[in-house]
Amino acid sequence: MSSFFYFLSESVKGFARNLSTTLGSIVTIFLSLLIIGIFCIGGFVVDNVVKSVESKVSITAYVSDGASESDISTLENYISGLDGVKSVSFTTKDEALENFKSSMTSNPEIVNQLDGQNPLPASIDVELSDAQGVEGIAQQIQNSSDFQSVCDNPSNPADSLRYGQKTVEKLFTLTNYVRYIGVALVILLIFIAFVFINNTIRLSILASRKEIAIMRLVGASNNFIRGPFLMEGALHALIGAVFAIIGLELLRQFAIPKIQGAMQWLPINISGESYLMIYVILAVAGLLIGLLGSTLAMRRYLKV
Amino acid sequence: MTNANSQGISARRDRPVSAHASHSKDITAQLSSTLPDVDVSSSPQPTGTPVITFDHVTKIYPAQPNKPALNEISVQVYAGEFVFLVGHSGSGKSTFIRMIIRELKPTQGHIYIANEDLSTMRNWRVPYLRRNIGCVFQDFKLLPNKTVFENVAFALEVIGKSRHVIKTQVPEVLRLVGLQDKLSKRPDQLSGGEQQRVSIARAIVNRPPLLVCDEPTGNLDPQTSRGIMDLLERINRTGTTVLVATHDREMVDNMRRRVIALDRGHLTRDQDRGVYGFDV
Repeated sequence: MSSFFYFLSESVKGFARNLSTTLGSIVTIFLSLLIIGIFCIGGFVVDNVVKSVESKVSITAYVSDGASESDISTLENYISGLDGVKSVSFTTKDEALENFKSSMTSNPEIVNQLDGQNPLPASIDVELSDAQGVEGIAQQIQNSSDFQSVCDNPSNPADSLRYGQKTVEKLFTLTNYVRYIGVALVILLIFIAFVFINNTIRLSILASRKEIAIMRLVGASNNFIRGPFLMEGALHALIGAVFAIIGLELLRQFAIPKIQGAMQWLPINISGESYLMIYVILAVAGLLIGLLGSTLAMRRYLKV
Repeated sequence: MTNANSQGISARRDRPVSAHASHSKDITAQLSSTLPDVDVSSSPQPTGTPVITFDHVTKIYPAQPNKPALNEISVQVYAGEFVFLVGHSGSGKSTFIRMIIRELKPTQGHIYIANEDLSTMRNWRVPYLRRNIGCVFQDFKLLPNKTVFENVAFALEVIGKSRHVIKTQVPEVLRLVGLQDKLSKRPDQLSGGEQQRVSIARAIVNRPPLLVCDEPTGNLDPQTSRGIMDLLERINRTGTTVLVATHDREMVDNMRRRVIALDRGHLTRDQDRGVYGFDV
């Protein structure tokens, strides 16, 4: 235990010995961990968004105004019998108008321009249990004769079917790109942090090479010689990680609510547990970077 | 010198007589019973176990493959001996010293320190070997930003000795080398001889059974050198084996101790009560 405190005091001395490089390595670790953290939060948010969009993936089949109720219920029965359909509901013309009005509360003049008419068709809303199967189910509905007889636009049945397939696909490609860029950026930053820690520890080793020579001479064990440098690297990384965590916490307290306020349709808020997990990941990642970086430096510059 | 006695005993206990050594002793006994009596007083019989054994040691540096730094050296140094290692620059003295503390490994042959083979010794054991060997160098190797006390204490600190041990042992050893009044001076406030005393104090503070010195008087004036040698002799009298590499002719001639002479990597002379013997 006494050697633990010796390592600690030695590594703190190492801080003072080359302050500028120490600050450099702390700042790079701080920045890389901060960005890693932001990407982690971003990942959680994207997950949330994708989930909410997926749960909203539904097929809307517009029905012509003149369709009889029995035809409609036949179609409903047919659709609910399909694989992958979770629920089927019917929206009347009036309900459709109500929905439209409530979604347009911010621009009431559009509603006013309708002049009391209702141009909206009634529709059958199909909720799916799996977003991936949306295309096939839409195809089946389109091909069924029941639908073709009641659809809003008999000359082109496909036009009467709306589903969110394209949106989901676009979202997926976008999030994939973001993920790739994020991973590349994180790898680059970790590499830079590595180089910085490596360099700082190297300078530290050079600065104390006289002590090291004497320690070897009088028989200090290898671990005892290495300890302070290992601890120095770990301390840099931990301090960087603490700053990154503070930065993320500030972001969570002040920036996220504002962004959420500006973009209400996006479910940005993620749970406190997720934040805690991200913080733990950051601390552990920082510790690993620090330990590995200084181990690497010692392997190259501290032959014992 | 109660300290001296305990040190001698512990030194002997540290190095148990191996089967190999006792066997060779038996052979020696048999041989001596068959041989005619010789004048023993002129060549004192080495006693105890060998502390250092060089067994056909050759060291070739990669930079000079045709010129071995040491060539087929076989020599034994026994516990309690005071040995001079002499030779010109480049004769292999420093290589010899550095192989004892296993900074270098022999290219061929074996080195045994207290019956432990250095060439098969695991790396992690090397620090423990060095705790039993005190080292003194020409350039003192003191830390300039530490006081005399801290410099000596450093040697104990880094091998994990407790603060209590440091507080009792460091002043004691500094009294032994005659620096009890300069505990809080820095090395640059001391003369060369005093600095060398500090480094000797650091080398023996852990009470190693073996003390090796590489040119300990190399950059000191004759008067000061004499003082250092007296100190080394005093340390030797406490039971510590002392090996001194030097090219200080006057010193070797004055002290008349065992002399091992090296010349361009060859062992040219191994003589009890010897002299320097090279023409300068």
